[in-house]
Amino acid sequence: MSSETISHGHTEEASVHSHDSHEAHGHDHHHEESFLSKYVFSTDHKMIGKQFLITGIIWAIIGGLFSVLFRLQLGYPETSFPVLEDLFGKWAAGGRISNEFYYALVTMHGTILVFFVLTAGLSGTFANILIPLQIGARDMASGFMNMLSYWFFFLASVVMFASLFIQTGPASGGWTIYPPLSALGQASEGSKLGMDFWLISMALFIVSSLLGGLNYISTILNLRTKGMSMTRMPLTMWAIFFTALLGVLSFPVLLSGAVLLLFDRNLGTSFYLSEIVVKGEILPNEGGSAILFQHLFWFLGHPEVYIILLPALGMVSEILSVNSRKPIFGYLAMVGSLFAICILAFLVWAHHMFVTGLNPFLGAFFVLLTLLIAVPSAIKVFNWLTTLWKGNIRFTPAMLFSIGFISLFISGGLTGIFLGNSTLDIHLHDTYFVVAHFHIVMGVASFFGMFAGVYHWFPKMYGRFLNNTMAYIHFWVTLVGAYLIFWPMHYSGLAGMPRRYTDWSNWQSFNQFQDMNRFISTVAMIVFAVQILFVFNFFYSIFKGRKVTSTNPWGANTLEWTTPINPGHGNWPGDIPEVHRWAYDYSKDGREFIPQTEPIGADESKH
Amino acid sequence: MSGYFILIILVLAFVLIFQISKASEYVSVLKGEEKSFKQSNRINAFLFILFMVLGLAGAWWCNELLYDRTLLAQPAASDHGEKIDFMMWLTIIVTGIVFLLTQVLLFWFAFKYQYSEKRTSYFFPHNNKLELLWTVVPAIFLTVLVGFGLFYWFKITGDAPKDAQIVEITGKQFNWMMRYPGKDNVLGRKNYRLTDASSGNALGVDWEDGASHDDIEASEMHLVVGKPVQLVINAQDVIHDVGLVHFRLKMDAVPGIPTTLWFTPKYTTEQMKKITGNKDFVYEISCDQICGSGHYSMRGVIIVETQEEHDAWMASKKPQYLTVQEGAAPAAPAADSTAAAASATMSKPLAQLK
Amino acid sequence: MSQVISEQKRKIHPHKFTLWVAIGSILMMFAGMTSAYIVKRSQASWLMIEIPMMFWYSTATILASSVTVQLALKSLKKREMINYRRLLAVTAVLGVLFIVLQIVGFGQFAAQDIRLVGAGSNASYSFLLAISGLHGIHVLGGVVALVVIAIRALNSSTRSYSSVPLEIAATYWHFVDALWIYLFIFFTWMK
Repeated sequence: MSSETISHGHTEEASVHSHDSHEAHGHDHHHEESFLSKYVFSTDHKMIGKQFLITGIIWAIIGGLFSVLFRLQLGYPETSFPVLEDLFGKWAAGGRISNEFYYALVTMHGTILVFFVLTAGLSGTFANILIPLQIGARDMASGFMNMLSYWFFFLASVVMFASLFIQTGPASGGWTIYPPLSALGQASEGSKLGMDFWLISMALFIVSSLLGGLNYISTILNLRTKGMSMTRMPLTMWAIFFTALLGVLSFPVLLSGAVLLLFDRNLGTSFYLSEIVVKGEILPNEGGSAILFQHLFWFLGHPEVYIILLPALGMVSEILSVNSRKPIFGYLAMVGSLFAICILAFLVWAHHMFVTGLNPFLGAFFVLLTLLIAVPSAIKVFNWLTTLWKGNIRFTPAMLFSIGFISLFISGGLTGIFLGNSTLDIHLHDTYFVVAHFHIVMGVASFFGMFAGVYHWFPKMYGRFLNNTMAYIHFWVTLVGAYLIFWPMHYSGLAGMPRRYTDWSNWQSFNQFQDMNRFISTVAMIVFAVQILFVFNFFYSIFKGRKVTSTNPWGANTLEWTTPINPGHGNWPGDIPEVHRWAYDYSKDGREFIPQTEPIGADESKH
Repeated sequence: MSGYFILIILVLAFVLIFQISKASEYVSVLKGEEKSFKQSNRINAFLFILFMVLGLAGAWWCNELLYDRTLLAQPAASDHGEKIDFMMWLTIIVTGIVFLLTQVLLFWFAFKYQYSEKRTSYFFPHNNKLELLWTVVPAIFLTVLVGFGLFYWFKITGDAPKDAQIVEITGKQFNWMMRYPGKDNVLGRKNYRLTDASSGNALGVDWEDGASHDDIEASEMHLVVGKPVQLVINAQDVIHDVGLVHFRLKMDAVPGIPTTLWFTPKYTTEQMKKITGNKDFVYEISCDQICGSGHYSMRGVIIVETQEEHDAWMASKKPQYLTVQEGAAPAAPAADSTAAAASATMSKPLAQLK
Repeated sequence: MSQVISEQKRKIHPHKFTLWVAIGSILMMFAGMTSAYIVKRSQASWLMIEIPMMFWYSTATILASSVTVQLALKSLKKREMINYRRLLAVTAVLGVLFIVLQIVGFGQFAAQDIRLVGAGSNASYSFLLAISGLHGIHVLGGVVALVVIAIRALNSSTRSYSSVPLEIAATYWHFVDALWIYLFIFFTWMK
């Protein structure tokens, strides 16, 4: 479909973005598509979204499997599993996970889930699928760049996957890759070739994110259909817009940090290295600062957690409103709080560094800004609760996951108030309390947002429904499992138990949690098995699911439900519909829902 | 063998769930979409309220089981730790109330406002008063928490008292090394290029500096109860972190950038044994920043003792400078038992350098 | 807010808009780099940097190329296709020349026995190399874009008078130019 992009540039010049110009070519190319241009090098945003989603699912299985493996070590440190040695050879000699292997697993689990699943898989999927459909556009601003975005992600995936098979193993210094550990091959096996692969893969990944993000922003700002003012956009669009903005402004900083690290690793420079004696070897580097990297890393790293969370916030708001048959409460406050979170995300990075010897006055400043984030978060929670209040709730699978999301967002968000306060962070930093906190609020919660999105928009993606019974099992086991896994971890955190330990048996202070660890590991395996059930449901339903029979199965107001059940390239067969109202007129004037395309009636009440 | 057995059971369970799910989909089609929707809606609404009740009970039970194993159940062993414990309880209470309120509302609303033919939703798009309310109230609570937090933060990170004992702690893969300034209370200058564990200078002390001649090196940290101590924290290879759980403190050890931390120990090790009722109790230093494959084993020990005991211990130690001068024990550097094990592997690259 | 944006909507081509966002993004990368430089500068063992003369020449070159790309755009709009192609080629050549001069400039450090990388290197000089290197890659990207446009201009079968691609390329070109000026001033002042 490259002809579409070219024609944008050449024949139409100034009018390219107006809607009527699309009509001419909106639906006349796709009959000539080959397999390659339809499924592989597609420039159709819907196909690219699906590519992101399926690649994300594959990564999620790998990343989840890694967590099961290291949970085996933590839950059953005394037991030997011969099958592990069969599978992993020297990495699991004697059926036990070696220390190097453990740290490689932990590092890869973090990297894969944070970047490849919850960044690319989540915002890549839903930004691509939803932006043109919800704002009323034929496609992204640049379909070609969009395609490149996926293929850069694919390349990044290939490099990262290849790093798993290196002789010295993949990166193993934690997903935050703090130098000097990540800079010195002498200090750790994983800091040899594996680390270079990690950095190259991340560079490709950043390029992918930037190409995608640029496209999302310019599409949302420039290609909205007639009548779709910014304040009429569904909250999903606002959330994705802010997500893209965060990514575009913070990923380049990580890139510069990574470039300097590559220099230090391969060219003998001293950006991060100073006065180091490693395994008895005296290194010549002087004058570098290891803390500098942490500043550069967390300047991305903190916005990154919001890049993960924001799309989930947006989708949950949308799904909650649709299935409560009520308008989202406080639309403008919801947008405002997203905006506030987005701004604050750039100003709080040093709260990850309270114990690095940070200047206390600087630290105080970051405490203040960090805890300020709790205010917009509280607004969101109470607005959601009010949205449910006096609603008429339909518990579709998407709705279940949305309610589960709110519960997790509250639980994980509140522990953030502990960690953001530097005084408590001195005690809790890098303990299991942190692990529990970010897994609940960023990991599981964002996954719930993602599941909600998949269940809600699956009919739009594939024209079929997912199986409901499997969805209910999936939801309830995952919700209960998530709490069973992470709730007790707060207690080990309050005992000061450090994270990233393979074994606590030699410690007087931390060896009292063996039974709890075994319990957590068992639950983790069950929850993982249920995720496989979901994956099975997903792929089975693509081909054999119950068919969607009406264009608007959920009775929703947004534009994507005005397209045909299986929209072609260009989305709407005729004109792009015009928008006359916001997306949340549910149960207004005695009508269950009023689509955005319906003009405002003469006798309609105001809100 | 049992592994395969479990696998087979798992696959069977999988197939079973799948078949039931398919069947239930057919049944729902037969029964009519509307009817089966109402049924599953009622079940899910009930499950939400059940989840809330069981969840709160579970949280209570979890607390019963695990509370005594946390540090909340024993007093902080330092003055700073007491401040942190107070802050912890304050935050637990504030967030606990919010937690209960919001979670109960969430699940209660989900149950109460489940779909019913008789009800239509209440069109309620916004209400400025309510929104202002839940902007201002959280802001007030947070101001209180920030206020207390920063007050203590500045106390804890403030300057150490003049009379504080100085102890230097240096991290390397994968153990801790201590150095005491000796009688002059001044630590001798260091130059990392002089580091040479095989000749007894594992810390890279510059012997040219006279202040280093009475410095004492050890593998354990000995502190005096009730006397402020300032730790000077270093790392040789990668970033480590001095984690002092019983004192509720920690601070990174960064190569090239020394950091400091001070506190006053409140109980001797012997007293803590009585307080905790654990006769094996020992103050431990954990490494809290991932530092390589042996990260989990990077353990140090602190002994808090009375002034007399401390003096006696000091007197029994010989300054490292003298040890090196005598050249009596070139193969056993630093009188350091944990380092001795590591030095076997360490001396190899050193030999290559020479 | 929505008002402002819908105003823009009528004026700016989405690809151009994308470029402006991309420029913001690239700026963040260099902001990250230069603030790292400032942080490092305040620490010990920082050396004064003397900028070799060659960098003044390269600065002049890239400034000149900005003029030529603007002239090329003007020619295109006036449909003076021969002039247009010529100026496009000159711009691309100046871009390459700029990179060559930069490399020569770094060669002069070696002549002064200053190590940029490896043992004995100092972070102050390594920064200069890393930042200018990153900038050079961006210039190279601009050269590739110009070459693609030039080839399209020569290829008569897709004869097109749309100035949008060149406008985008020219904006980018001015941006990397301005970026270098900023970096150059930064390095000469911040030593």
